[in-house]
Amino acid sequence: MAIPARRRVADVLAFAFASFATLFGLFWLAWILWTTFVQGAAALTPTLFTQMTPPPGASGGLLNAFYGSAVMILLGLLIGAPLGVAAGTYLAEHGRYSRVAAIVSFVNDILLSAPSIVIGLFVYEIVVRTQGHFSGFAGAIALAIILLPIVVRTTEEALRLVPDQMREAGFSLGLPRWRVTSRIIYKAALSAILTGILLGAARIAGETAPLLFTALNNQFWSANLNAALANVPVVIFQYAMSPYDEWHTLAWAGAFVLTIFVLGLNLLVRLLARRGMRK
Amino acid sequence: MNDSAVEVRIETPKRAVVDTPVKIDLRNVDFYYGSAPALRNVTFGVPANSVTAVIGPSGCGKSTLLRTINRIYELYPEQRAEGEIVIDGRNVLESRYPLSDLRRRVGMVFQKPTPFASSIRSNVAFGLSYYERLSKSEVDDRVEDALRQAALWDEVKDKLQHSALSLSGGQQQRLCIARTIAVKPEIVLLDEATSALDPISTAKIEELIQELRERYTILIVTHNMQQAARVSQRTGFFHLGELIEFGPTSEIFTNPREQRTRDYITGRYG
Repeated sequence: MAIPARRRVADVLAFAFASFATLFGLFWLAWILWTTFVQGAAALTPTLFTQMTPPPGASGGLLNAFYGSAVMILLGLLIGAPLGVAAGTYLAEHGRYSRVAAIVSFVNDILLSAPSIVIGLFVYEIVVRTQGHFSGFAGAIALAIILLPIVVRTTEEALRLVPDQMREAGFSLGLPRWRVTSRIIYKAALSAILTGILLGAARIAGETAPLLFTALNNQFWSANLNAALANVPVVIFQYAMSPYDEWHTLAWAGAFVLTIFVLGLNLLVRLLARRGMRK
Repeated sequence: MNDSAVEVRIETPKRAVVDTPVKIDLRNVDFYYGSAPALRNVTFGVPANSVTAVIGPSGCGKSTLLRTINRIYELYPEQRAEGEIVIDGRNVLESRYPLSDLRRRVGMVFQKPTPFASSIRSNVAFGLSYYERLSKSEVDDRVEDALRQAALWDEVKDKLQHSALSLSGGQQQRLCIARTIAVKPEIVLLDEATSALDPISTAKIEELIQELRERYTILIVTHNMQQAARVSQRTGFFHLGELIEFGPTSEIFTNPREQRTRDYITGRYG
């Protein structure tokens, strides 16, 4: 049967628009990657990963910044992810019909959209000011607070996607709720929960404002979490604002690596999600 | 625990009194979803070690009846049951009756297969490892025993570590039956357990129900009247939340007393 002309035109138009939208999105990503790569090319050498941030006029790398970022992201995950999963579990499983859960869920949404600079200021007030100095630990706490609502929301949604029938099947064996949740529901929602945590990690990897108030920066090698700690976003910020060309190049290189890292995390998420679907 | 079923006279509306050992004695059971009643004054006895079928049009309360017996409805705060359901002399609807005891004694299989996202073996061992401290080889024995009872052993014995989700729908449903009987229940509730399956899987499960009858008291809800006629010894017909008629399956299907039952089994509505 012949397809009416109107429907064929509509199909072509819809296809063209969808393709254009996709290309439009990809275009910016490609441009960002290309620009950061070209601008930072001079610094994209092995020394980027082996040397410390240099003083003006000298050559160097970003090792201390990469290290500081990695430690703070990991520590942020270590603090924020378990709390977030636990709170998401409460919302989806235990507090399903309670008023408290409805309020917690609402507050979580507010936290989710809180500007990260506010969170940075908050941690500055309660950690940095009480301690009297900037610290990597304060930075990790700020990142954890940003991560928390993301993990809460994605965990809650992942658990809600598990059909009630799975819960009923577990309960009908006479198992208590904690066992049904830990052995059945978590397993069914595992890849979706991990996806949420990784997306959260990608988000905090690029956060600058909260670190500016907490970890600040450190030009030298330091593994001390109780002192100012170098990190990629703040280094990029400071170097990009500086008048020195070597610093500009390093900032571009740092931006390139950071973008690749976030891109890699997102690809990992896609992979996990696909594996979850296949099951 | 009192294993021997008590001798109780079942009184059903306008039906001859049958003397038989009763396993589940329902007395004036009412059920509400919020304020909407789903069961009204249901009274009958489910005989021990036999298959009892519950039939009736959609929304008549037959699934609700099963969900009341193992109190799974309590997961949802707006649902509640009244009346008494006496199993071995105790009213299981009393809030102090321990839920895990009840649900261990009363297993349930659902309409859609509900395999857990783990291996075949750990699916069957799921309840076991919670209730009993067993060595690995004891668990293996119990898993094998349950899978044999569920007529699934021969198909899965070489792939016990494979994911349960890799099985076909019919196999998954038999796996769920194995998981249910692995904890040694006394009663098995089947809620339209074959309605999502193909005819061959359905035939296998019906055969299985016949074999399980000797060890368990079985209560099945089904949309399929031929199935009720094939597998059950007694049948209850529900309509709009009420038990209209209860009796030997052969009588319900050949010579029902009630006009509404007759209309339903002859296909006038439902």
